[in-house]
Parts: sequence; C-alpha cells; structure tokens
Amino acid sequence: MIDKHNESTSASESHSIPDDATLAAAGIDRREFMRVSSALAAAAAITAGGCSPPAENSLAFTQRPENLNQHGKLKVYATVLDGAPVLVRCREGRPIGIVPSPDNPSARGLTVRSHAALLDLYDPDRATGPLFVQRGAAAVAESRWGTIGAEVVRRLREKQGDVVLLTGPLSGPGTSALLSELIGSLNLRHVVYQPLAQGVAGEAWRAAGAGGAPPRPRLDRAALIVGFGAEFLDLPADGTEREFAKHRAPNAEGGMSRFIQLEGRLTLTGANADRRVRVRDSELATVAAALAHEVIVERNVGPLAGDTALAEILAPFPAAAEQAGVSRSLLAELAEELLAARGRAAVLAGGSASHGANGPTLEAATVLLNASLGNYDGSGFEPGAGDDEGNGGLAALHALAGEMRDGKVSTLIIAGTNPVYDAPLDFAEALASVDLVVSLNDRIDETAALADYLAPASHELESWGDERIGPGLVALRQPVIRPLYSTHGLLDILVAWGAAAGAGGAVAAADALTKPTEEGGEAPEQQSGAYHYLRAHWLSSVVSTPAQFEESLRLGHHTVLTTGRGQNPPTTEGLAGLVASIGAPAPPASELELQLYPHFALHDGRAGNNGWLQELPDPVTRLTWGCAVSIAPSRFDALGLQNGDLVTLGVGEASVELPAYRHAGMHADQIAVPLGFGRTHCGEVGADVGVNAFGLQAVEGTRVLRSGLSVELKQASGHRELASAQGADVIDRVRRPIVPLTTLSAYRTDPKAGTEQFHGGPSIWKEHPYETQRWGMAIDLSKCSGCGKCTLACQAENNIPVVGRQGIIDGREMSWMRIDRYYDAPAKEGGWGDDVYDAPLEVVEEPVTVFEPMLCQHCENAPCETVCPFNATMHSEDGLNQQIYNRCVGTRYCANNCPFKVRRYNWYEYSKPQNAAFFTLFQPVLERHAELNTRGRMQMKNNPEVTVRSRGVMEKCSFCVQRIREARAEAIRTGSPGVLAEGTVVPACVESCPADAIVFGDINDPHSRVSKLAADPRAMRLLDSTGVKPVISYLTKVRNDIV
Amino acid sequence: MSQASKRTRRLVPLGLLVVVGLIGGLMANPRKGYKPQQPIFFQHSKMAAEPDWRTDANGNLVNQGGYGIPCRYCHTMPYEGRHSTLPSTDICMNCHSVVGQDKEWVLVLKEYWERGEPIPWIKVHDLPDFVYYDHSAHLNSLDADGQPKLDCVDCHEDVENHSVVEVRTRFNMGWCLDCHRKPEMAAPTDCITCHR
Repeated sequence: MIDKHNESTSASESHSIPDDATLAAAGIDRREFMRVSSALAAAAAITAGGCSPPAENSLAFTQRPENLNQHGKLKVYATVLDGAPVLVRCREGRPIGIVPSPDNPSARGLTVRSHAALLDLYDPDRATGPLFVQRGAAAVAESRWGTIGAEVVRRLREKQGDVVLLTGPLSGPGTSALLSELIGSLNLRHVVYQPLAQGVAGEAWRAAGAGGAPPRPRLDRAALIVGFGAEFLDLPADGTEREFAKHRAPNAEGGMSRFIQLEGRLTLTGANADRRVRVRDSELATVAAALAHEVIVERNVGPLAGDTALAEILAPFPAAAEQAGVSRSLLAELAEELLAARGRAAVLAGGSASHGANGPTLEAATVLLNASLGNYDGSGFEPGAGDDEGNGGLAALHALAGEMRDGKVSTLIIAGTNPVYDAPLDFAEALASVDLVVSLNDRIDETAALADYLAPASHELESWGDERIGPGLVALRQPVIRPLYSTHGLLDILVAWGAAAGAGGAVAAADALTKPTEEGGEAPEQQSGAYHYLRAHWLSSVVSTPAQFEESLRLGHHTVLTTGRGQNPPTTEGLAGLVASIGAPAPPASELELQLYPHFALHDGRAGNNGWLQELPDPVTRLTWGCAVSIAPSRFDALGLQNGDLVTLGVGEASVELPAYRHAGMHADQIAVPLGFGRTHCGEVGADVGVNAFGLQAVEGTRVLRSGLSVELKQASGHRELASAQGADVIDRVRRPIVPLTTLSAYRTDPKAGTEQFHGGPSIWKEHPYETQRWGMAIDLSKCSGCGKCTLACQAENNIPVVGRQGIIDGREMSWMRIDRYYDAPAKEGGWGDDVYDAPLEVVEEPVTVFEPMLCQHCENAPCETVCPFNATMHSEDGLNQQIYNRCVGTRYCANNCPFKVRRYNWYEYSKPQNAAFFTLFQPVLERHAELNTRGRMQMKNNPEVTVRSRGVMEKCSFCVQRIREARAEAIRTGSPGVLAEGTVVPACVESCPADAIVFGDINDPHSRVSKLAADPRAMRLLDSTGVKPVISYLTKVRNDIV
Repeated sequence: MSQASKRTRRLVPLGLLVVVGLIGGLMANPRKGYKPQQPIFFQHSKMAAEPDWRTDANGNLVNQGGYGIPCRYCHTMPYEGRHSTLPSTDICMNCHSVVGQDKEWVLVLKEYWERGEPIPWIKVHDLPDFVYYDHSAHLNSLDADGQPKLDCVDCHEDVENHSVVEVRTRFNMGWCLDCHRKPEMAAPTDCITCHR
C-alpha cells in the first residue's frame, strides 16, 4: 500500500496521468479511465471558462475634445512624406493608414517606404527619450533634453571650432529659411549627405551648356522610351509609374507607347519593357555613344550633324558596341525607331549603370541623343523639379571628414543620415576627433552608437515641417498624433536650440509658445516652436493670408507662382563640349562585373527595421528577408549552383559571403547585390537581415561607384535558404492558360488574343440572383507594373501580420494580395515538357515577364464555399465571398479547394505574444512572431474596423468589406440607402495603385467602369473551365511587337 | 463483462447529468439579465425617466419620477457613427458642478473629475468583439412612410426606468436576426453585415 501510494503521488506530480498499477487498484482499466476523465475534463473546462462574456470597461473621455462629433469614424489629414502629398487615415487619434492624396498636383507619387512609414511610427525599437550614448564606450544611460540642449547651445554661441549640422536632403521654404537663419546668425554650418545621390545626370546636363535642373521625362507623353539601365519604375519617387502606365494599354488615348530597355540586370523597369537587350552596365555607355553615332553621324540628325570632330570621337563606338553584343543592325533598328518618334521620344539613363566609371559618358550620350532628336523641345520632357538632385554627394562628406580629422569641427549634429553604415569612407574614425557628437536620429543606429548623445527626433507623422514637392509646389507636414515618446520634431529641436542661442526668428517662434493666442492657446500646435516658425515664414513669404495657410494645411499642398524656371536647353557649343568629354570607348575592366543597386523597398536601408518592407517580396526576384547575389542563369548553371548556395564576392580588398540566386535576364558577365541590408543597429526586426553591400562600393575621386565594379566570384561552402515568396517562375500558357498575354499585332487582328483558355462543361449550379448590387473588379495587366504597393496597402488596411523569414520559407505568408511574377515560356513546336518548370535557359535568358496581382476572386460558384463543413464561408447577396472568422474552426478544406491559392491560414497567434517559455520550448519561432507583431505599441497600427484574427482560422481578401459597410452606413445616414453610387467604395489596393490598373465597382450597373472593363474583349476570367466563375476580370497584357 | 466496466456503468448516470448540464448551460442566455455593479450608482430611472408629479401629504407637488433627460443629451453620437458613446465626465459635470453637491455618488464622480481619470464604467449591452454594430445605420433607417424603423428603446428596452442598467432582451445573434428577417425591416442577413 505504501508503495502504491508513493507511486501514485509521483505519477501525479510528473504526468498527472495515473499509471496502470494505480488504476488497477481503483478497479478501472486505463482506457475507461481516459474515457471518463476526458468527458469530465471537457465539462470542467466549459464550466470554468464560463459562458458569460468577460466584463469589459468602457472608458469615456474626462473632457471631450472639441470638434469630436464623430466617434468611430475616420479622420483624414493631409500631410507630406518623402516629397509626396499623402493622406493619413486616423481612428480615435491613431494613424492607421497612409494613402496617396487623390488631388495631388505634383508629379510625385507615394513611395513604398511612405506606405510603410506607419509601422515606423509604432516601431518599438525607436528611442523613447534622449540618451547618453557615451560613444558606445559604456552602457547607454538616460539623458535629458535640457542637458543636451545646453551643451549644444553653448557651442552654437561660442566661436571655438565649428558646429556642423549633417543632414539628408532637406527642402521646403520654412525649413530652408530656418536653416539659413541659424547658419547666418550662429556658429553653424550645414552639410548634406545622402548615400544614393543622383548627381551624374545634372552634371551632364550642365556640361551641355544647359541651365537649371535636368529635365524630368514625361512618360505619359513620350511615344518611345529607350532606357539605358533606366530604373524609373524601381525607385519611383517622382510619379513615373503613374505616367508610364497611362499609355501602356492598347486602347490608351493617343496609342500605346513603346519601351526598349538595355540593361545588365533584369530590373522591374526592364521587366516592363517591350523589348529588352542585355548589355552589361559598364558597356551601356559604349552602346549609347554608338547609338549617338548612328543617329548623328550616320543619319545627320540634330544640331551637331556634320560636325567632323564629333564624328571622329564617336567613330570607334559602333565597333566597340559590337564587341558588347549590340550589332550594327540592332543599332540601326533603334535609330530608326528613335527617328520615327523624333520629339516624342525619351532616352533615359540614371539607373545604377550611371553610377559606374562610365556613368558620365552614358549620361552625356543620353543628353546628346535627346538634344539631337529634339526631345527636350518636344513633349517627352518637362522642366525638372529639384535643384537638390545633385546635392549630398560624397564630395561634401569627404571634405567634412577631412576637417573632422584635422580637429576643425568641435560639434557634429547628425540628423536623418547614417554615414557610418553607408558612406564609403571611415566616418567612424573621423567621429573620434570631434569633441561633441549629437545624433538626432530616431534610434541608436550605426552612427549614433558612436555619438555622445542621442536626441531622438519624432517621426514625420508626429512633427511639423514642410517640403518642396515639385516645381512651384510646396507642402506642409502636420503632425497627426502627439509624439508617442519623449521626442521632439526635428524642426522643433532646431528652433529650440536656435532660440536659446539667440537666432532672431527662432526666438520669436519660441516666444509664441508661451504667449496666449487669439485661438485660445490650447491646441496642440501651439506647443510646437516649429509650427510658429513655419507659420510666420509661410505668412511672410509663401502665402498671403492666414486663410491660405489653413487651406494649404487642409489640402496638403500649396502652389507658389514661380517667375521663370531658370531652365534652358543644351546649346550647340555645349553639346560639342560634351562630346569632347566622351573620350575613347572604355572596355570592361574585368570579365565579371558587379552592380550594387538600391533595394526597391529598403532603398538605402533607412527603414531596415520595418517588417512590412522586409517582407514585401522584391517584384522581380520575389525574395524577402535578406539579400542574395543575382547571377545569370547560364553562369549559375555552369557553376553548378543551387539557389541559396553561398558564394564569396571579392571587390578589391572587401569581400562578402552571400547566397546565390539564379536571376533571369541577367547579363552573363554581370552579377548584382542589393543595398540597404545588413543593418546592425536598427532594432530587433531588421538586425542582421542580409549583408551590408555598401562596403563594396568603390570611390573614384569624390564619385561613388556602384556598378561596373571588378569582382571575383568564388563558391563557398554552405547554404542559406532563400525566403522566396513564389515557388514557380516559368509559365507555359499552353498548358496553364492563367495569364492573358499577347502582342499588339495579335491584339489588332483579334482583340480576344491572349485570353484563350480551356472550356469546361455546363454548370450544375443555380445562378445567384444579385438583386441589388454585385461587387466586382477588373485588373488591367497592361497597366500593372508589379510594384507591390497594393500588397502593402492591403497589409495595413486589413491588419495582416508579419510572419518573418521562417514563415515565408515555410509558405505561411499571410498577405491577402500578392503579385505573381511569371516568365512566359515562348510557344514551341511540340510544346514544352515538364522541364519548362525548371526554368530552362531558352525561357529565362531573355524572359518575357508578366505580373499578375492575385487576390480572392470572389467566385460566383466558389469551390471553397461548397466544402466548408461549418458554413463559415458563403456567398453574400452582393456577390462577396464571405469569410466568417468566428464560425471557422480551421479545417482548411477551403484553402485546399481554392484553385487560386489565395486563402491564408493562421498557423500561429500572431496578434498575441505567445512567447512564454513554455510555448517557445516547442516553437522557438513564436518569439520571433512576438518581436515582429506585438512588441511595444505596434498593435496601435491595427485598423479597428477589421477583426484581428487569431490562430486556427482561415482568412482572405474581403474586397475591403469594412469600406463597403461604412459606405452603406453613410448612405443610410445621409438618407439615400439602396444602390451605392460609383466611386463610393474604394478598396485599399485600388486606392494605392499608382497605375490605375485596378478598378472596383458594381458589375450589375452596365455603366460602371468595372462592368465596361469586364465586357472588354481583353477581359479574361481565370480558370473559367473549372466553372468557378470568378468576378475579377484580368485584362490582357498587350506587349508591343519586337519590330 | 469485467468488474471494471460494471463500475464504469455506475458512472453513466453521472455522465448523463454532466451532458444535460452542459447542454443546458450552453443554451442558457449569458447576456439576458446581465446587471453588473458600476463604479458609480447611477440611476437611469432618476435621470431619464419621465417626470411623475405627485401631491404629497403636505399638499406639495413632488416629482416621483425622473428628470426626463433625453438619451442623446449624454449618449451624444448614435446618429452620427457606429458608437453611441458613453458620456464624457464633463457632460455629468454640466449639472453636477452645481446640483447634488453633497450626495455620496456625486462626490465619487467629482473625485474622478478632479483626478482627470475616466470613470471605469462596465459595458452592459456588450456585443462580442467580432460583431461590428453600427448605431447610426440602425437609427437612421427609415421605413416606407419615412418613419424611423427603430428607436433606442427597441433594443435597450426601457432603460430609462432601470435603476441599475440591465440587459432585458436576449441580446444574442438569434435576437438580432429575428428583426433582420422581418420583411418590413428590409435588412441584410449576410454574415458579413456584422462579422468581418
């Protein structure tokens, strides 16, 4: 008995399941015990859990803010981010979404980074207050704004050694005025540095005797675009996507534009070209000059025609171009096309190739071509926007570092730039010779780690400012939320320090802070020195009345009348001088060359801690969470590599180890690595994701070289799996007709060309009545450039979690909207075998790329609906395929039965931190999920109109049903229920699409845009043969014929 | 039949009882009758009920009812947006900075007010978090004659006469649908109307 007693005690301690001996003593055999105890356990769980809902508090305001008369409704503010006017959607005082401003007078569009800036605002790795960093020597200690301010102000007053303010590019009338005032009255200098400065184009433009900023291409007016490594879609800061897309559909007004791209790496821009020619970066200049020879010398076009000196200089280029793989007949073809489109063509460079040793020649040749063809006088260009384009190059930073080493700089204030991470010089060593280093960045980044103090500036959504957004256009930045932490806006800091040091305007602004004003003195803006400074400056120099100031706050922009643009086209003498600078064709320096390109989302790495950007698949490589070396398929196969095998790159003395990636469409003699990765001091999300390739940059004088670098590629041992968001690359449309694609000539013969697909049998399903409205969508693949902004906008709107690198590798991404990128397998006699899916060289050497946004098709006969055993997904009366989370138990039948693979299953609880030791013992990845989704104030980003899903439920695109419901409620409130008018419901993806490729509306209404598009002969409903009847129509991507 | 399974059989009635209890528990309405104690003993019957003037024994006219304050004096926005909103403390203070200064619960109210702390009211008519209800869409709906289809009391019952607010309706999905399915309501019954 004693033994048994002991046994039972130990058993219950360790397992709580009695062993057989104990059960036998109780006279129950084990199976029966389990049967009874499980029933009891279930009963206990239900009783203990209770059926009554938990008591919930409802906390009202103590004092209701004035003007708050719509609770639970959106408030939208206009502001400016990254030089583009945006609208910030706020709920209950929290920004929950950033969308493009619909009445945007500027050419600037929202960048991917601006879309994701919302996550940066709530980033838990931002500094929460001023810090005493102590140059990384000791532990970081808390500091006070007063302490840092006093130190800086003393030095601003005294004349012992220079105080230097090092920033990224700053624009805006008020900001510039403040800076020049501080510089004028205090011991302060201003140095601008940006790692990816675009100076080359401006230099060539000015060398040609032209004045002002280089002109901006107007791709909506150009009939022909010839790109030499152009990357206007990869880094679309200036609205080129919008303008480019306007003439890409075959029925566009004024016809389709043609786009020919010559490049070494398949870029997003090149993937959208009608014709693509592989030329390695260092030889693009040669080819451009050869084309200039063909046009100017052979065909006597332009002001320099007949110039013998020019003919002599350009004479060797055609032969050199032939060496580079561009035959004379191809040159002749290009010249023919350019001549046919004289005055309506745009020859563009400006990509990574322009930042190589031969970049100036390339830019000179493009200026020469455009000027000779009369493109600058025609419609293909308009006066450029910025005079800061060439600003911030390496020269200024180089000079500054020299002065720092010589001890001439006593104080360095760094704001919005991170030279220790990205500058090709030893800035860390130069910092050591500076007396006081204060960083105004938002966290302890690589540079701030070596500073004395970190005085964190607020996020742009928390601070006042202004920016120039185009020629004659300025915009105010207004805070949409009070600072989450003890931070101050950049301008507020400058005003406060300037005022303390005695700079006139700043003193006046600081004085206004304490004085009661006629508005009552209680509004939050009254507490900002920057607001008072900006308002005073705008009232005196930008706007004429206070009402205009308020109006520009409301609109988000203001037009300034400029007197003359100070821009004049190149002169004949200037062009002749430009030609003289071209010199002889430069052969490539090495057999294999390297291109370093800014990552399309992370850009210079500033937003490295942003999970949305890290997880947004690169449009071309489809890689997330890290970087890889892009190697041409032929070279990749010759080396016997697999995706993810590690290789070593040696550039000069620097070398890095990276996984290899088989990049379709690469020139065989070129490899490429993205910049912006490998941050070491950015926070837990982005720390050590990828490798920092800035260290591979070369310097020539004061120019940074990022392409045409001699590189040695060696296989290393090891493998690092790539987190790719897409498995298949190649599509054989004969066997899988799921992408409508055709050429212009085929389209002209038969407008339905490209939409051919299999035919299924008759339907056995009853049709839905759709008595009032039926929501539908049309996506024009001709316009879609594959930029991925819809994916980001959807993620923000619908509370979609970040799954992390491992999640992507395991195929557990949660995005409701993705963009599939396919390389079309050309028609082949006898058809392709299954080997086509292994991406054979015939397909991927020179691929035809097509992007297909994929989201829930809201099928009329949705296969998911019929298999759900719980009726958790079913058809609504207005045609939506509804997913009801609280009914879903997670059988995943629906996802298995979905032919489009758009349903996403929550394998984990992303919305609640499950990182307790017990859970993470079994699933270490849970810790990462908590890091990515739930730390700090991250969940404040969530849209309260959309359920935050928990583990074990299926989810998918809802056509932004919350916006439909809100539109319905608004219609009821305004007394006009019933059919919603066109344009009242705009889903997040439609709102964010710069190309206007996605159209949403009521397909019951024959006059709506979407039903007209659905009736277009180009419209294709995917997988129609299965009888699912999708409601989304894809319009054929029509490509121009290759001559 | 073994000894063991005979003993198990004796447990069968117990098991049946458990099952019956469970089914009963699940079918019981957890919301109806929900009447939590609030941080302040606020009586709707004093504030919102219709005045009831009576002559007392001394011949004085005395109000035995409430003050007849309309719902929307405190719950300000049911017609404007999704939430009808609980009153911010300053609305209470509109009157209570002057009246009822010595009363027990007014003193508690003033303490919250002076501390600038929101009153931790407990939600009574509390829908689950996966229900997206819109007050404005219900109250602004008009029938064929242009008359409002619903008023506050249709869902909240005669809350103005409650001394402690209580849920007196079923307040569950079936109860919502009972109304949504009425032809005269012409209301949608798609799941996604409320769950999204």
